[in-house]
Amino acid sequence: MAGMSSKRLQKELVKIQGTLPPGIALVSAENLREWQMDLSIPDNPIYPPTEKYRLRFLFSPSYPIEAPEVVFLASSNPERKIPIHPHIYTNGIICLDLLDTQGWSPVHNVESISISIQSMLAGNTKAERPPGDAEFVRSNRQRPRDINFLYHDPSV
Amino acid sequence: MKVTFTAYHAVAEWKWDLPEDSDDTCGICRVQFEGTCAKCKYPGDDCPIVIGDCTHCFHMHCIGDWLLSEQSQGKCPMCRQPFKERVAQAPVEARAARHTPEEAAQTPART
Repeated sequence: MAGMSSKRLQKELVKIQGTLPPGIALVSAENLREWQMDLSIPDNPIYPPTEKYRLRFLFSPSYPIEAPEVVFLASSNPERKIPIHPHIYTNGIICLDLLDTQGWSPVHNVESISISIQSMLAGNTKAERPPGDAEFVRSNRQRPRDINFLYHDPSV
Repeated sequence: MKVTFTAYHAVAEWKWDLPEDSDDTCGICRVQFEGTCAKCKYPGDDCPIVIGDCTHCFHMHCIGDWLLSEQSQGKCPMCRQPFKERVAQAPVEARAARHTPEEAAQTPART
């Protein structure tokens, strides 16, 4: 299945380098294993429109049969924070159904995932971390996709 | 005037017979149905299309890989209903030629 991810990612890259929705930008795609995207969130006072949030996508050779690993990255230069959200842990791990093995579908792609995460932030009304954030960040050694998240509150 | 052909070059075009409102690309590999999945070299019979009961279409090899993966839970990637391959049907004219209308109505679809 080695050829699968590279052919599909090359197609996605061509499209992404053409057009992307407002507030979503490609930062780097130097290879077909790791890409980074920047998001900005319009019209939500929790996330100032000048701030950008960096997503890291990691693809396995069996993408898109297997979901990519998608997390927020923090950095100081340029300054990127982990956005505050009841489903985003301070280590950048995102609890979102379409990213885990139960909710993933191979029709999703980098653009559609970015849009989903952007709208998850745009619609957020609670400047809070998930319950148990400190404990999870201290103890988690699992890869994001292996974590069995409890979807505490599907309305968020 | 008499015209003599010394040579001719025939060109043919083909398309899959897919449901009318179907996409023209496979949602899994994002290649046109008339092209091949990521693994195949030659389009057409070597890389056929599967139509689901839900009318969603995929390259057979693409949907096969997905359904073999545990996370698919046997569901269509587009609509998440259980993916069932639709029984291929001959065009209406061809069926009518073989059955009288009553017979055709009574004959259950082959499974």
